[in-house]
Amino acid sequence: MTFFASVNATALTVFGVIVAATLVISWFASKRVNTATDFWAAGRGLTGPQNGFAIAGDYMSAASFLGIAGLIYLFGFDGFLYSVGFLVAFLTVLFLLAERMRNAGKYTIADVLAFRLKQEPARAAAALGTLTVVAFYLIAQMVGAGILIEGLVDIDFSLAVILTGAFMVTYIVLGGMLATSWVQIIKAFLLMTAAVVMTIWVLAKVSWNPIDLFRDARGQSAEGEAYLKPGLFLSSPLDTVSLGLGLVLGTAGLPHILMRFFTVPNAKAARSSVMWAMVLIGAFYVMTTALGFGARAILGQGGEEAAGATGNGALPLLADNLGGELFQAIIAGVAFATILAVVAGLVISASGAVAHDVWSNIVRRGSDSEAEEVWVAKIAALVIGAVAIVIAVIGGEGLNVSFMVGLAFAVAASANFPALLLALTWRRFNTTGAVTGVLVGVISSVALVIISPTVWPGPDSEGGLFSWYDLANPGIISIPLGFIGCWVGTMLAREPAAERMFDELYVRSETGLGAELGTGLTLTGRGSGAEAQAEDQELVGAGRS
Amino acid sequence: MATSEGTRVPEGADHHPEIDWQAAERSPEFQALVRKKRSFVIPGTIFFLSWYFGFVVLAGYAPDFMGREFLTDGLTVGYVLALSQFVMTWVLGAWYLRKSDREFDPLAERAAKVALERGRATNGRVS
Repeated sequence: MTFFASVNATALTVFGVIVAATLVISWFASKRVNTATDFWAAGRGLTGPQNGFAIAGDYMSAASFLGIAGLIYLFGFDGFLYSVGFLVAFLTVLFLLAERMRNAGKYTIADVLAFRLKQEPARAAAALGTLTVVAFYLIAQMVGAGILIEGLVDIDFSLAVILTGAFMVTYIVLGGMLATSWVQIIKAFLLMTAAVVMTIWVLAKVSWNPIDLFRDARGQSAEGEAYLKPGLFLSSPLDTVSLGLGLVLGTAGLPHILMRFFTVPNAKAARSSVMWAMVLIGAFYVMTTALGFGARAILGQGGEEAAGATGNGALPLLADNLGGELFQAIIAGVAFATILAVVAGLVISASGAVAHDVWSNIVRRGSDSEAEEVWVAKIAALVIGAVAIVIAVIGGEGLNVSFMVGLAFAVAASANFPALLLALTWRRFNTTGAVTGVLVGVISSVALVIISPTVWPGPDSEGGLFSWYDLANPGIISIPLGFIGCWVGTMLAREPAAERMFDELYVRSETGLGAELGTGLTLTGRGSGAEAQAEDQELVGAGRS
Repeated sequence: MATSEGTRVPEGADHHPEIDWQAAERSPEFQALVRKKRSFVIPGTIFFLSWYFGFVVLAGYAPDFMGREFLTDGLTVGYVLALSQFVMTWVLGAWYLRKSDREFDPLAERAAKVALERGRATNGRVS
């Protein structure tokens, strides 16, 4: 890649510091994490603000940091459209799922589905939804990391991917969700700091008038007025609406985000963590405007070639322009930390689906010990990491990062979100409905992408496998299909047990009565939180050791 | 949960059969909570989805309107509408947290307490 100057030594040092800090955290965490609740839910000991930072760190991927700034740099307004969708999505999470997930769940989203549905099919469906989303999202991030490191420190793409995978698996095997959470918290802090510094720097260059930023950016674009209008990147209106639908509902189906609500002690902390995340993520996305339009105003058209076709190189170029080699190395280091935190969150949610849902509850039918479950989770993390490395290396730099993240959101919105929402709110919903809904959601969103013009680029603006289908974003079709799948499946069968057990799930998810307890785990020790909480809700202590 | 023999029933979250959940669901306290919460969450969801999709549809189908100047040269209607989405998210989020602390939580606590008392009475056990 050409968008970085040769800054090997400086960059290696910055990367080294970040990796060292995260490994120290993992080593601390490894001494504390014992039970399955510690491993998957960090002992449910995180506070609302801590989990808010961790959600922000889990959510804002390289696609947000490098990708959106790059899209705004290249295409102006359309890049900002992504920012809006990514943020508003958290209202869906807050209003519909966050507290209910915390109250009803245990380790994975499958626990919520399987609470009143038949164990094996419900878990298999949830695991399929989880693993499909994680597969697309994870490979996208690994490829992004490979391109970034290769460009910056001039090491081979494959080696860069292998290193990223190795670190991510190390965090999880050593410190499970506790280590992952703290890596995400630190990353969120680094990312926010970097964004604030760059924003102030950019604003200083336009004499503190943000409006001048737009005027300068427009002046530096070959598109002129059109640069500040929608339509340069998203030229099909229906596609824009379809993308918007996928973004605003997809977050509420992302397994690694939903899993974060199991790491707090109660529903109150769950909702306050969403608020913290909304403030952090919102502030960050407002700043992406300054970064993207700033890159345009400062770099002009001269940076377009070096920024690459997706614009991912625009931000490092801007950093170089502002603060030189050292600052560019720091920004690249932050981008690297960003990717590490996201991939760690993805892999731990996938390890939950494999070890807790498939191995422990389907293969072993609950006959395994908790220690075995944690061991299998670590092995699963290793295997998932290895598979992701292999696919990312084989697929290589040809894989389009933002396209794969978009696909992950579409699958999450079409498969996971409808099934979870209906399981929690519709008494009549049953196992057949969950299985059909997830299958229809996964198959339709993946199939629609396979026949889309993104995969079959045509000679002219046509493209696509079929002339009548030209949507790049499947959401507007696959999300309704996911809901219809849930409904049709439900109507095909009656499941009195599931309907009877709805009372327990419903009351529990709304009031927290009977919700899982924490173990009082923190990074520095085990607090007395568990005992205090147990007294608080003495019922939930019934039948426990 | 693990027992002394190291075997578990195949389940995720633990169930609590000692509570009469059907009675809990039908209790006036729980119904009051659900009604109160719905009366905020349903209109709130309809509002934010409408405001958001209004913006997305305009971005898709009315790019020229979105590109119009707003108050000063350089600031567009589209950008101002996009920023309004941020404000909406923060305001609705903060509003929901406030309602939860002041109204929903006390109702939820009351509903849980009633269910717990009734559970004890019917099962004749004290945990």
